[in-house]
Amino acid sequence: MSQPLLRPSLWRRLGQCLFLALFLFLFIKTDYAGRDELPWAVNLFFRIDPFLALAAMLAVRMVIALMLPAALILLLTLLFGRFSCGWICPMGSMIDGSRLLLRSRMKVPNLPGWKYALLLTLLTASFCGLPVAGYLDPFSLLVRGLSFALHPAFGSATTSFFTWTYQHAPAWLNAITEPVYAVMKTHLLPFADKVYDLSVLSLFLLLTVLGLSVLESRFFCRSLCPLGALLAFLSRYSLFALAGGGEDCGKCRHCRDICRMGAIDEQRGISTAECILCLDCLSQCPRSRIHYGLRKNGSGMQATDLSRRGVITSLTVGALLPLVLPTRLLTRNADPLLIRPPGALAEADFLCRCVRCGECMKVCIGNALQPAWLEAGLEGIFTPRLIGRIGYCEYNCTLCGQVCPTGAIRRLSRDEKQRTAIGRAYFNKNRCLPYAAGVPCIVCEEHCPTPEKAIKFREAAVVNTRGEQVFVRQPYIAGELCIGCGICENRCPLDGGAAVIVTSEGASRGGGKIREGY
Amino acid sequence: MDRRQFLRDVLLWSVGASLTVPRFNIITEALAADKPQALVSLAKGEDYFALVARVLAPLGGMGKFVKPGDKVVIKPNIGWDRRPEQGATTHPLVVKALVLQALDAGASKVLVFDRTCNEQRRCYANSGIEAALAEITDSRAGIEHVDPRKFVPVDITRGKSITQWEIYKDALDCNCYINVPVAKHHGLSRLTLGLKNSMGVLGGNRGALHQNIGQNLADLATVIRPKLTVIDATRILLRSGPQGGDVRDVKKTDTLIASADPVAADAYATTLFDLPPDAIEATMAAYRMGLGEMDLARIQVVTA
Repeated sequence: MSQPLLRPSLWRRLGQCLFLALFLFLFIKTDYAGRDELPWAVNLFFRIDPFLALAAMLAVRMVIALMLPAALILLLTLLFGRFSCGWICPMGSMIDGSRLLLRSRMKVPNLPGWKYALLLTLLTASFCGLPVAGYLDPFSLLVRGLSFALHPAFGSATTSFFTWTYQHAPAWLNAITEPVYAVMKTHLLPFADKVYDLSVLSLFLLLTVLGLSVLESRFFCRSLCPLGALLAFLSRYSLFALAGGGEDCGKCRHCRDICRMGAIDEQRGISTAECILCLDCLSQCPRSRIHYGLRKNGSGMQATDLSRRGVITSLTVGALLPLVLPTRLLTRNADPLLIRPPGALAEADFLCRCVRCGECMKVCIGNALQPAWLEAGLEGIFTPRLIGRIGYCEYNCTLCGQVCPTGAIRRLSRDEKQRTAIGRAYFNKNRCLPYAAGVPCIVCEEHCPTPEKAIKFREAAVVNTRGEQVFVRQPYIAGELCIGCGICENRCPLDGGAAVIVTSEGASRGGGKIREGY
Repeated sequence: MDRRQFLRDVLLWSVGASLTVPRFNIITEALAADKPQALVSLAKGEDYFALVARVLAPLGGMGKFVKPGDKVVIKPNIGWDRRPEQGATTHPLVVKALVLQALDAGASKVLVFDRTCNEQRRCYANSGIEAALAEITDSRAGIEHVDPRKFVPVDITRGKSITQWEIYKDALDCNCYINVPVAKHHGLSRLTLGLKNSMGVLGGNRGALHQNIGQNLADLATVIRPKLTVIDATRILLRSGPQGGDVRDVKKTDTLIASADPVAADAYATTLFDLPPDAIEATMAAYRMGLGEMDLARIQVVTA
């Protein structure tokens, strides 16, 4: 008997490692690379996510060309089954990996119907004006947790360690540690320290998804993942499938015991919807009965896990939830401090397209883009907003539009970007030093990046806080020239809040008005 | 020896020892008085690379400043995400030529850096300086991004306005610090020249220096002491400084100015903008503190 080079399940594991490595590589590369255009398609995983593609397209009610590669996954799923979950999905690989730490012994009942209900509810809600599909998408959950919490935490922990060795360790040790730190800085760590709003929440959500495996292996994939639900629905009809076991296996139920998805029933029938082709059963079947091949008529086809009542409930909930949205204050008065990235579509369209993937916030070179909390409403959590005091929008940078997988932030040329106003600054003369104290300053004017400065100044004779008559330069905003980049707010040297603040007034995309009803 | 004898000895020895320790606290004002006349070298030409050697010649060449084995820091202005023709950053050819000159003079290490205002990688890339230095294969030369661990608090004992600030260690721990500013307009300080360029080695909240910028820069000049200042006026930004952005605000002047006297270099460079040296507060303040010469009548200008 000729042994195959590797057991099939090892091939799958190898595939998982490769795709996880690719995912992490693209994640690290979601950063400025020394030139204006990113050399890598860093948003690849989002653009092949059919759940997000469908949700975004339903929400804007048109085809989004950027997301069409997702059709490839649908097609492959129809041919080969739900392999993406078992081989490609980096979240799935991390869940599998975390099984080393979390042994599931609770064996809660399978709830495969839940994920279909979630899928239907989220898609219907997206279509009807409540676009929140990104909250539960596995890639979005993962990238948010990595971008906002894990990667910056890894960076600051590493830097703390090497700062300690740099300051206190002997020279011979530094001769070893400093080169290691240099290599890590170039290839692994964030270039500069980064901070993010909602970092703890994002990490908590990611850990919850991983930790749910305590209930049952791959609990998230079995019962909650809406992307998994979509692929499961399609793989019911897949051309190829695993099969082989049956009544004649006798008492052996090894395959059923080891199946991480609970896809194998008492009769050793394998549900093609739930099977993610991890190939453990195929590799471990003592009698090598299980094979992957063309599906025989009807085999593996099981009744849908969602009842007709469940379908109707999901559709109804999804359709009715958005009805409550117009009752909020946001409908009349958008948050004036909600500054969207340059190239962001008008607010309603923007929310519909944004899949909360966090890519724009990861790539933002100034750490300016931050995940919103409730500033844009319940449907706006994790959408990007600029917080000037944390970071500012680099005048020549166009990266956020390049990484947005759905075009919620349009890809702008450098010229277009420089003509795009994301807001406008105003001075608080009660705090601004030349006005309030008669003290010279105008750091804001120095940093204002437009060739004809949007911050100008007037010479004024004022009495300063010591009662002396002095001449100071008092800054003011030359309205139309200001693009709202926020560098003035960022660099204002005052403690405790800037004296120059960017608001959404004058934004090119229009105000932050949200959709009114359907 | 009894106790009394012991106490007396201790007392006498201590008094004697402390009296004989020389207490040098010579004020630079006094030193400046006997200094030879300040020398400013001026060179004009369109080949900016060759211009560097020419402008250094009257000062005795790079060998006058860099001795074999010296650690050298060259500090250009890379503060903004602007291209060379926009006149907001030091010309890459000038920086490259200076690095090569320092290597030829036998430097053991030549380090180039600036704490930028815009995002550092963008500044290093768009200024053209990173690429120009990448062409130098000598491993002794390098350009690096500022490492936040290297800012150390430094007492500014002679400071009239500031008494302490965080300064980049490498800028202090070198044998030869060469300041290479680009001459340009600045909204608050009118011009930014050598003294202002020193802000690129500072940590902390630099915006807080702007409330008394002239004196603050002079105070810093008491601790950040370039052996050589080379002012890049190959093209000068006349308006909308210090960033500019519009090439119509840039005037081609094809000039380099070099001096061992940081104040004299600034004073002379000011005249390129049709301003008198005393129009710049920092120059005035540094002159008053005896850090250099600003009276044009007492500066010897040699055209190379």
